Amino acid sequence: MSAIVSSKPRNPTRLAVLRGLLGELWHDKAGFVGFVVILLIVAMALLAPWIAPHDPAAQNVIARLRPPAWLPNGDWNHIFGTDHLGRDVLSRVIWGARSTLLIGASVVLFSGTIGVIVGLCAGYAGGRVDSVLMRIVDIQVSFPGILMILLIVSVLGPSTLTMIIVLSITNWMIYARQVRSIVMSVRQVPYVEAAEVMGCPPRRIIFRHILPNLITPLLTVGILEFTNIVLAEAAVSFLGLGVQPPATSWGLDVASGRDYIFMAWWLITFPGLGIVLTVLSINLFANWVRVTTDPQEREKRFAYSKTARRMMRAASEKAVTQ
Amino acid sequence: MNTIMRALLATTAFVGVFGVVTGYAQAQSIAIGIGSEPSTLDPQLRDDGGERQVNDNIYEALLARTPQGDIVPGLALDLPTQIDDTTWEFALREGISFHNGEPFNADAVVASIERAVDPENASEQLAYFGTVTGAEKVDDFTVRVFTDGPDPALPSRMYWMKMVPPVHAAEGDIAEEPVGTGPYKFVSWDRGSTITLEANEDYWDGAPDIEDVTIRFIVEPGTRLSGLMAGELDVIVYLLPEFAASVPQHAVVGGLETSVIILATDNDATSDPRVRQALNYAIDRQTLADSLFLGFADVAKGQLIHPEAFGYNTSLESYPYDPERARELIAEAGAEGTTIELMGTSGRWLKDRELVEAIGAYWSEIGLNVDVQIEEFSAYLRRLFDMNTRPDAYFVLNSNELLDADREMSFAYEAGLGGASNSDADLTAMIVEARSEADLERRAELYDEITTMVHEQAYDVPLFNHQDIYGMSERMIWQPRTDAKLIINEMSVNQ
Repeated sequence: MSAIVSSKPRNPTRLAVLRGLLGELWHDKAGFVGFVVILLIVAMALLAPWIAPHDPAAQNVIARLRPPAWLPNGDWNHIFGTDHLGRDVLSRVIWGARSTLLIGASVVLFSGTIGVIVGLCAGYAGGRVDSVLMRIVDIQVSFPGILMILLIVSVLGPSTLTMIIVLSITNWMIYARQVRSIVMSVRQVPYVEAAEVMGCPPRRIIFRHILPNLITPLLTVGILEFTNIVLAEAAVSFLGLGVQPPATSWGLDVASGRDYIFMAWWLITFPGLGIVLTVLSINLFANWVRVTTDPQEREKRFAYSKTARRMMRAASEKAVTQ
Repeated sequence: MNTIMRALLATTAFVGVFGVVTGYAQAQSIAIGIGSEPSTLDPQLRDDGGERQVNDNIYEALLARTPQGDIVPGLALDLPTQIDDTTWEFALREGISFHNGEPFNADAVVASIERAVDPENASEQLAYFGTVTGAEKVDDFTVRVFTDGPDPALPSRMYWMKMVPPVHAAEGDIAEEPVGTGPYKFVSWDRGSTITLEANEDYWDGAPDIEDVTIRFIVEPGTRLSGLMAGELDVIVYLLPEFAASVPQHAVVGGLETSVIILATDNDATSDPRVRQALNYAIDRQTLADSLFLGFADVAKGQLIHPEAFGYNTSLESYPYDPERARELIAEAGAEGTTIELMGTSGRWLKDRELVEAIGAYWSEIGLNVDVQIEEFSAYLRRLFDMNTRPDAYFVLNSNELLDADREMSFAYEAGLGGASNSDADLTAMIVEARSEADLERRAELYDEITTMVHEQAYDVPLFNHQDIYGMSERMIWQPRTDAKLIINEMSVNQ
C-alpha cells in the first residue's frame, strides 16, 4: 500500500487515501457488497451477547427439532427453529461466528506467516538452504495430518487455542511452496538483478522488491485456505479435538446436525449459509484487493475506465450534434 | 377341453414355480452396513465390535445363545458338566472341520483356549476370560477347562471364546484370513470398504439360506440410512430413532447396553455423597428417553447392571427428576459454583455427544459449573483407563455380553481396574467375594448388597438401558438378537 502512496506526486493525508480507496471500492459493486457483508458478520460476532435472542447453550429437549418460524409448527420465538437438543439455531449461528472467524482468520494469518518466511528464505537463498527447507515441507506434507493433530492435542489438551496452533502447523506448507516458486522466478527479472548489482542488502531486496509480487497469489491461496480451515475445524471439533461445548462453531454445528439432514434441514443449512456467505464475501472483496494491489491490473482498470468515459463522451457529443 | 385346461394350468404352474425358483436363487446375496471397519480379523485379539460382527459368522464357540439369550450348545455336544469347583468338562461334536480342512477336535479346543489366555498375546478379550487358566484333552472329543477359582459364569465366558484352527493360527495369517467352522467362509477384504463372505455348503448344521454376503463399513449413520433407502443395503445397524418410521422395515431389540456416568469418589468436586446424589436428581431421564431416544431407551432402574443379567437388583428405583432437591443438596454441601469435569466422546455410540451435552446442561441448571470435555475416542480411552488422573465424571456405554453382574462390577467399581473411579477397599472385597461365590442365592444377595450401596452412595449416575434399532430392506426376514450379534445364518430373504 505504501508503494502506491509514495508513487504519487503529492503526499495526500491518510484520510484522503482512505476516501480514494473507498471510492474505488464503490465502483466495484461486487467488492463493495462483499466488504459490507464481512463488516456485518464481524459485527455480529462481536455483538453476539447483545443480539442473540437466547442463550446458545440453553436446551429444552421437549421442544427439539422445531422447524423455522415460517413453516407449520414453527414458532417466532425460535426464528431459525431449534436443534437436536432444543437449542435456538439463530443464537447458535450468531455465537458460532465467533469461533469460526477467530480460528479461520488466525490460522490463515499464522500459517501464512510461517509459510511465507520459509518460502522466501528457500527461494531467495536457493542451494542447500532450499533443499533442506523444501524437504521439511515434503516431510510435513507426507505426514498424516490427523496423526499430527492427535499428537499435539494429546500434549496440549483440546481448546480453541490448541486448535489454532494445530491447524497452523498442519497447513503452512502450501504457502511455502507457492512463495518459493514465485520468488525463484522473480529473482531472475531485471529490476531485482539491478538492485543486487547496486548492492542492496538481501533484506531490502526481499521485502522491497520481491514481497509485493506475492500479494496477489497469496490472497488467492489464503482465501481458499480459509474455507479449508473452516471445514477442517468442523471435522476436528466434531471428533472432540477442538471447540468444546457449550461453545460452538458453524462447522461444529454442521457436523453435529449432519445426521438429521433428512428430517431437519435447518440444523445444517443456517450455519452452512454462514460459512458460504463469509467465504463468498471474502472472495468478492479479495478480488477487488487483488486488482487494487497489482500495478498492472490497476493500469488496466484505469485504461478501461478512461476508454469507457471517452466512448460515453463521444456518444453524447454525437447525440448533441445530431 | 378339460385336458387342455389341465395342461395349460400345469404349464403355468410349472413356469410359476420355475420363475419363483430362479428369482429365489438370484436373491441369495445381501449387503449389510456396519458402523466400523474391523481392526483385525483375528478373533481372539481385540475387543472390537466391527471384528465381531464379521467373525461371528465365520467362527463358532463351544457354547452359543438363542436369539433370546439362553445358553445352548454350540460346537460342544451339550452344556458343560462341572467336575469340581474349578474344572468343567465339555463333550465335543464330532465330524466337524474348519474351512481349510483342519479337523475340529479336542486338540483344536485346547490350542484355542491356551492361545486366548496366553499372556504373551495380550488379548484385549482377557477381560472376558480372566478366570480361565487353561485346558486339557481327556480324549479326542472331550476337554476339561480350568479356572483359577470357583467361576459360575464360565459357560458365559465360553460362549464368547471363538475356536480357531491350531495350524493356521500358528503358521497362517489369521489376522487377514479368518478360517473357522461357522456357516460362512471368508472371501476377501477390500480395506476401507468391504468384506465379502460366502456360504459354507458343508456347515455341520446345514448350509445357510443366503449365499453371498457383502459387509460394508459406513461410519456415518446418515450415509448408512441413504444406502438402505437407495436399495444398496439390506440391513443397517445403529439406526437413528428418528428414522425408524421412514425405513422400509425396522426391528428393535432390548440391547445389552447401559449408559452411565461414573463419578470419581476421590476427586474434590465429587467426593461429597450429597453432590453425587444431586447430580442424580438433576437429570430428567424420562424426558430424555422420550425425546432424545424417542422411547427407544428405558430409564435404568438405579443401577448399571443389565436387567437380563444375573445379579440385577429388582428392588432399586432410579433417582427421580427433582432439581429443587438437587439444589438443596448442593447448598448443604456448600458446592455452589463448583467446577465439575464431564468427559465424553463423539460418534462411538448412538447420540453419545448429544447425551453428554444434554447432561452438562442439566447439571448447569442446579448451579454447578460444568466443564464438558468431548475427547477423541482414543484419547478418551486413554483417560478412561488412566488410574492416576480420574475425570470427575465420565460418560460410558457398558455392554454386558456375559449377562452376569461381574462384567459391570469388574469394569466400573472394582478399584484399580478398568474404568473404576473409587478406592473403596470394602467394595472391592465384596466384588471379589461375589465373583467366586458358588452358591447362586448367596451370590445374588451379595450383588444386591453391592448395588444398593453403590446406589445410595451415588458412585455413578445410571442413565438408560438402550435398545438396538436395525433398519432393513423390504425383502429381509430377520429378528435381531438380544446379544446384538449379526448372525447372517438366521436371516432370510423373501421375494
